[in-house]
Amino acid sequence: MKFDRSFFASTNGRIAGAFAVAILLHVVGTLLIPGYSAPFAIRAILVLAALLAVASIGQTLVVILGGIDLSIPFVIGFANVVAAQLYGQGWNFVLVCAVVGVLAVLIGGLNGLISRGLNIHPLIVTLGIGMIVQGLVLLWTKGFPSGSAPPAVSAFVSIGGSVGPLPVPWLVPCVAVLTALIVLVLARTPYGRRLYALGSNPGAAPLALIDPVKMWVVTYAASAFFAATAGVLLLGFTGSAYGDVGQPYLFQTIAAVVVGGAALVGGRGSYLGTIAGVLVLTEINTLLIGLGFQPAAVQAALGLIIVLLVSLYGRERHVSTTI
Amino acid sequence: MPDRSAFHIRNLALAAGKAAIDHTISPGEIVGLAGLDGHGQETFLKTLAGLEKPAAGQVSIDTAAGRLAVAGFRKAVASGIAYLPRDRRATGIFPTQSVLDNFAISTVGRDARMGFISTAERRRRYEVFRERLSIAAPSPAAAITTLSGGNQQKVLLARALALEPKVLLLNDPTRGVDVATRHVLYEVFRGLAAEGMALVILSSEIEEILVLCHRVLVFREHEVAAEMSGAAMTTDAVIAAMFGRAA
Amino acid sequence: MIGSLIRNAGFALILLVVLLAGNLLLNPARFHPAAWGTLIGLAAPLIGAAAASAPVILAGRGGIDISVGPLMGFVNAIVIQALFLKAGISSPWIILPAALLVGAAVGAANGFMATVLRIQPIVATLGTYLILVGVTLTILPAPIGPAPVWLKAMAGPISILPLAAIFVFWWLVHQTPYYDQLMAVGSDDRAAYTAGVPVTKVRFIAYVMTGMLAAVAGLMLTALIGSADPNVGPTYTLIAIAAVALGGVSLAGGKGGLAGAAIGAIDIFLLQSLLTAFNVSTYVLQVAYGTILVAAVMLTAVQERLSARRAA
Repeated sequence: MKFDRSFFASTNGRIAGAFAVAILLHVVGTLLIPGYSAPFAIRAILVLAALLAVASIGQTLVVILGGIDLSIPFVIGFANVVAAQLYGQGWNFVLVCAVVGVLAVLIGGLNGLISRGLNIHPLIVTLGIGMIVQGLVLLWTKGFPSGSAPPAVSAFVSIGGSVGPLPVPWLVPCVAVLTALIVLVLARTPYGRRLYALGSNPGAAPLALIDPVKMWVVTYAASAFFAATAGVLLLGFTGSAYGDVGQPYLFQTIAAVVVGGAALVGGRGSYLGTIAGVLVLTEINTLLIGLGFQPAAVQAALGLIIVLLVSLYGRERHVSTTI
Repeated sequence: MPDRSAFHIRNLALAAGKAAIDHTISPGEIVGLAGLDGHGQETFLKTLAGLEKPAAGQVSIDTAAGRLAVAGFRKAVASGIAYLPRDRRATGIFPTQSVLDNFAISTVGRDARMGFISTAERRRRYEVFRERLSIAAPSPAAAITTLSGGNQQKVLLARALALEPKVLLLNDPTRGVDVATRHVLYEVFRGLAAEGMALVILSSEIEEILVLCHRVLVFREHEVAAEMSGAAMTTDAVIAAMFGRAA
Repeated sequence: MIGSLIRNAGFALILLVVLLAGNLLLNPARFHPAAWGTLIGLAAPLIGAAAASAPVILAGRGGIDISVGPLMGFVNAIVIQALFLKAGISSPWIILPAALLVGAAVGAANGFMATVLRIQPIVATLGTYLILVGVTLTILPAPIGPAPVWLKAMAGPISILPLAAIFVFWWLVHQTPYYDQLMAVGSDDRAAYTAGVPVTKVRFIAYVMTGMLAAVAGLMLTALIGSADPNVGPTYTLIAIAAVALGGVSLAGGKGGLAGAAIGAIDIFLLQSLLTAFNVSTYVLQVAYGTILVAAVMLTAVQERLSARRAA
């Protein structure tokens, strides 16, 4: 990919910048808080970051497309509860995952179909669909989800887990491989190139033989699929089902994508950038909580940092330069 | 198959109640479309591309599989028709993408090897057109927006040619293009025609049509007001037809 | 103004009539004319939130303010906790200007970020969202009361006053050249810029207006709940934006108005009441509510498409 160097210089700069911020935050944490770089603390950061990274895959894809997906937290909650419930009823866990995955793909596909097919802002569509999904889950469980995670999933994400000599659970290397795969798909497949092109100029896409509706359906379906994956992983992480487990991920996925240098107008962004954004967010969270801030103050600080970072490198062009 | 007619327009009405257009465009021909803005020449071109549905009649093209009706843009492309849009910014370039991406996007599937794009193959295809159209870009990986208007247009033309069309439809291809590049494009168009491609060029400049085209269709009020070729094709005659006067 | 309202919010108007009839039929006690005052009071904060969300959306190019809800909550907390309970101020002559000032300041901050720094509006206001929620929870960790007597009296029938104030304000804006500039910027900012419209200034003012209207909505919320609650405000954000979309305001900008947004909000309120009348579980309510919301925006889109085809 050496020929991409000059073109992606600015994008690469943003990603490198976001990684640098994450490292800086970690150094600051290590200096200020005893035990911040202790093995267990680093493992916790990696696991939390890996979970957010999985939840943010879909948001990255739809943002490149020029959309946004507010249904992610609802789909996470849906997968979390449904997986626990079905497993609790004695279903085979592979079958459970298949059912949850298929349903999630249908939910996401519907998001994309309605948004692009009828040209309605995805903000509204994904919110509405998300609320329906959440309502259906509540209805099914009568508000009291039961069931638990299979031990295998819990071990897969456990902070205390290890992969041979590596002191991290399987989740971390798996997310690393998944990251490489997503980056490869975006850079080197017809789907990836069409995704960027469609986000870059929806008006030109059909003339370049890109089917916008198909792309939106596929991409939103993928988004929901990865949200569901995150939901199942979170089930392993927390041990029991909780319908609102995904709520923090609504703004965190958007924030991770944005801090990673993607423009919400489409055609820009990369999953590597999102990973950098995920690390920044996780470090900020850990650092502020370690410094004894209340969750409310952490949230306020998070908002401030998002705005600061984006004002450094995420600015749009002035209208006079677009004429 | 230079003796076979390539592109058939039968009883085509651009709007309800307008005179039908019957026309055949042969391989190797360059046909110009002229007319005052909004008099139907653009609708005509887009209808040929399958982008607009005619009020009546049909367009068909001869292919190896026989004569196919052009219904819809994708079908048109599949049967060997390529279209170069007029507004580069609105419907042409992908501004956040590289020159190479912009070139390859319509034919992106052709570079895929086991699902993944072979960058070497993509580069090789691009180089062919870069040479032929003398595209001046700092590098294939440079953003398309770093190129001059003329070079952006060449990249878009390369995108269309990569489809290996038998008919090339050009919607005001030299709009906002510098004079030197224009002459390069004219040479390219002549070369393509010489190789047996049929070209239909809509131009807002009569001079361009006179220099380039074998024939011209002059549109007025969504009908073909005049068809000229050879010595009869003069600026005065075309203008007269555009304004609906006898020459 | 009426003509364009019917054109943009036609579907929302029909929905309004249908929902109102449904409510009158199924819910006669709650919708008895004598109770309409109370109902207006219940709907007022949502109407205010929708009206507040509209100006920045009208300004186009992705203009949106998702901090409207948290700003309502922040105003709620400031008025009760800081002004009334801590400083002992109860005079409307101080509380009203203070609330408006807070709203204008937050709006100006959003406007500065979105138009001068040119951070994408959804990101800039997401930042504000998180900051406001955090600050509100810090100054007000748990619900607290009461509210000043005059403010509580603003609930019920009297809440028509602040609502009327909002619409008189918007009507006045309508009379100024600014309104035309706003709509021009919203529908095509490049053309507006070329025509000499100060695009940045126009958008900035839209954010300030949104902030001030959100402050009014926050006061109406305070009147309704008669106390301060840090958790209520943020819930209004997304519903308000849905109401705006339902009311025929294009999220792409330049089309619609505050009246449409208000109708969209009333639709949502009536929908909620109607569903409550069926006496089903809240879960069924949520499913039905989401379904009708999606169906409504889909029908709006289909109707727009049909009327566009008819026009062409």
